Order: sequence, then C-alpha cells, then structure tokens
Amino acid sequence: MADHGMTPMPPSLREYSRKASIVGVGETDYARDYAAERKRPEGWEPPIIDDLCKLAFDRAVADAGIDPGEIDALALHYTFGGPEPDEMVRHLGIAPEKAWVNGHIFAGPLPNIVGRIISGEVKTVAMLFGIGNRSSGRQFGGNTYSAGMAGPASYYYFHPWGWSSQAAHWAMMAQRYFAKFGKREEDLGHVPMIVRQHASTNDNAIMQKPFTIDEYMASRYIVRPLHLYDICLVNDGAVCLIVTSAERARDMPKAPVDIAGWSESYIEQDKFRVMVEERLRPQIQAAGNEALAMAGLSVGDIGHFEGYDVASIHLVNQIEGFGFTPDGTGIDFAIDGQITLGGRIPTNIAGGNMSANYMQGWGQVPEIVRQLRGEGGARQIAGLNASLSAMTQTDCVHPVIYTKGE
Amino acid sequence: MAEKRPPRAMVGAGNEEFWQGCDNGELLIQKCGKCGHRPWPVVQQCEQCGSDALTFEAVSGNGKLASWCTFERPYYGDLMPVPYDTILVELDEGPWFISNPKGFANTEAELGMPVKVAFLDCEDSHGAFKLPVFERA
Repeated sequence: MADHGMTPMPPSLREYSRKASIVGVGETDYARDYAAERKRPEGWEPPIIDDLCKLAFDRAVADAGIDPGEIDALALHYTFGGPEPDEMVRHLGIAPEKAWVNGHIFAGPLPNIVGRIISGEVKTVAMLFGIGNRSSGRQFGGNTYSAGMAGPASYYYFHPWGWSSQAAHWAMMAQRYFAKFGKREEDLGHVPMIVRQHASTNDNAIMQKPFTIDEYMASRYIVRPLHLYDICLVNDGAVCLIVTSAERARDMPKAPVDIAGWSESYIEQDKFRVMVEERLRPQIQAAGNEALAMAGLSVGDIGHFEGYDVASIHLVNQIEGFGFTPDGTGIDFAIDGQITLGGRIPTNIAGGNMSANYMQGWGQVPEIVRQLRGEGGARQIAGLNASLSAMTQTDCVHPVIYTKGE
Repeated sequence: MAEKRPPRAMVGAGNEEFWQGCDNGELLIQKCGKCGHRPWPVVQQCEQCGSDALTFEAVSGNGKLASWCTFERPYYGDLMPVPYDTILVELDEGPWFISNPKGFANTEAELGMPVKVAFLDCEDSHGAFKLPVFERA
C-alpha cells in the first residue's frame, strides 16, 4: 500500500481489542471562543494553540481524576503546526518521560497509541489535538492551497476549470446522489436539520439554534447544490484524551471506555469515480467489517454513531456504507427519525462537525466517552454498550469502535 | 479572444504532454503499458499495477455527464466571477474528468447526458493555452 502520510495504525487484531481505554476527556469552549472571534470585541486576540491545549489538558486530567504526574507520555497532534514538544511540556507544567508529535487528524493516532501501550512503550498518555484555523482565516479552497500541500488528485490540480474547494467534492457527490436516487435539496436538508436539533442540547455547540427546511432552502449556497448548513464549521479549539491500559483503567476513578476495534481503507485508484459514484462504499464496508471483526461485534451491536459530517451528504454515505440502512436510503432513514434519539442509530448526537465543532475528528470522541459512561444527560442513549466513530475523508475512512468497560 | 483563467498548477512535472495535446486539439490521457489502466490526473506510476511504463495516448473525447456543481464563492476573485458551472465527465475510456460545460448550463444538465470535448482558447500566467471543456454530443 502507498504511504498515505497518516499516523500508522497497528493491524486490526482481535488480541489488541479492549487492551486500552480512554479514562479522561477535555475540550475547549468552542461556542464561547467562536462567538468572541466573530464579534472581535475591543482587546480581543486570537486564541493560541498553546493555551487551547492547556485548557483541554487540564480539563481531561480533572475529568480522569488522576494526578498529572501519572502521565508518562504526551502525544501532540497538529494539522497546521503547533508548539514543539518540549515547549508544550513546559506550558502544561508536567514532566512526562516522552513527548512527541504523533500526527494530525483523528483516528490513526488513537490506535497508534493503543499499540504503544500494548507494547509497554508508554503507560498513561495524554493525546492532545489543537488547531487555530478559524482565527488564521484559513480557506478550504482556491489559491490558498499550494501545490506543495496536496497530492496529485487534490483540488489545486483543477485550477484552470475553477474547480478548487473541499465543498465541491461533496457537491459532486450530492448532485449525483440526487439524480440517481430521485432526491432533492430539501430532502437532504433534513440531515443537517436533525444534527442541528442534536446540537441544541449541547451547551458547547457552536450552532445551537434549530432551523426549518424553509430556512435551509433560503440559506446561501456554498457550492450548488450544497447550502451553508450542509457544510462543517471551521473553528479553533483543542481536545485532550487520556488513554491508558485497560488494566490500569479499572483502578481509575471514571468508568473506562475501551478501544475495541479499528481499521482503515483508502481509495487506491480512480479517485473521482469511487468518490462520486461509489461514495466510498467499498472502503467504508471493508474498514467497517474489519473493525467490527476485531471488536467481535456486528453492526447490530453498534448503538451510537459519530460520523465525519464534513458535509451532510457524506454523513448519508457513512450511514449507508456501514450498513445501518441500504444504499440510497440514508436520507429517508434520517427523515424517518432513525438517526436521532429513539431511532435505530442515534448519529452525531451532540451536533457533529456541522453544528458542534470542527476538530478534524477529535471533537466527537468526548461525546462517545460521555455516552458510554452514561453522562449524556438529556441526550443519553439508553442501554448503550458500543459506539462507532468514523473519520471519513474524500479518499479514506478510519472507523474506531469503543465499548463500555466491564 | 482568450479567456483568462487561474494558473495551470501542473505545467511541467510530466504534464507538458497533456497541455501540448490540448494545443493540438487532442485530449491525451496516460495509458499503462502493463495493465492498460487509464489514470487521470497525471501519475508517475500506475495506480493500478505500480508500473512506470506510462505513455500519453489520445482518447476519443466522448463521454457522459457524471455529475456537476456550481461555484457560488469567489475563490478566484475576478478571474472566475461567480456563479460558474463545473462538471464531471465519465470519459468513454474510463477516467472521470473535471471540466466546464460549453454551450449548456448546469440547470439543463442530466445524468448520463452524452458530451464531447471542445477546446477553449485561454490564457493564464504561463501564457496562452487551450482548455478542454465539454459540449453536448
């Protein structure tokens, strides 16, 4: 397989299942920081990654109820750069034996750390992700992307045709989906509308105000046929996960959440056809089945899904691809109430990337931990034992399965 | 008159033949000498079999409309005034090709609509060139 530039994951072996657990989570004040960035009151300064990371770290340690001295390793994850490990260690006021930069977007790094815990290389790890792409004015399209940053199939290639935006990938998918399955914009609009309803129960969601289908239709287009509400947010923030061996986790204050399965699959050829026609279905199925087999579970055992809703249509692709509903029926499934509380598979239950926060996959893990601990409050999924997250991009998918620790 | 366009990012690095082909009114797509795969965009090694025995060969220029979307945000400022249409064409030889429609708008687009290549006189910061676009077949 080609080198995809992602954090390497150990193989999806049965004996690696439930060997490590998440024992603490911390997040920054996404909603408050976003509002301040928009208003830019007198004296406002953009948040720096150092401080965002420290806040998430302090909260994760407090959540875990452990002494920070128990943390022997600090794994740092930045998509667009951040402080050097020694600098961050000083800023956090800890003295781990090991601190290093371990990749960026979510999924790969977590199994990677589990592998290091299993091998005995590290014991209790603080995994920190921090990003400041909102305050830096980052645009996910046009000339802001340089040729040096993207692979040959990425969008800088298509400048002469004016085709250059992350959202345009999802727009091409959605348009073909509409034509193929006889759906319309106002049908798809139910998906972000439901995710927004979920966000309305989350005090830390950036967008909490519900909208109607009429409001959805009246909203501006980003790339037609996709509206503003179909696309994820861009915001600043940090997430911290404290991970340790399942054995040690049993002696810690909080109910452990075990890492039960993982996998990954990439489009290796004909990217545009597989992305737009297949909507990554072969990749999602292959990786999903492998992660389930590793966890010793079937799709029917998964009671909660946190999909990568960088765009509404891509959440539909994942709900269908993992087998919660047949190909082409995801929108109807959502309209039928099946992706919300009380439905078959409550999905992006705290607001996902479209309404709660955009932490490149990391932001959905704290909700999984809360749900599996039974700390979901008004949005708690009853009787939950297993959750699935999926970091799903234009050309790859990284599912991770989490189970309630015994 | 040549239409001004955003720069061809890939001029050079194995892409010269593609753009030279366009200048000659031909759509040249790589073909793998080992497995026959037709990759697009340009690759250094075949994405199907890993061979580097790749040569540029003309395709028919015929295809079907596979999808389309309309840009509403001015990523390129005055160079590409919004809204403007982009399309995805499934070439008869296999590859899926990002382009622009010529002589029709996305509001008239239909899935599977037969299209054929045409070459538009354009100009970017590298100079004059011909841009492959697609019209109704």
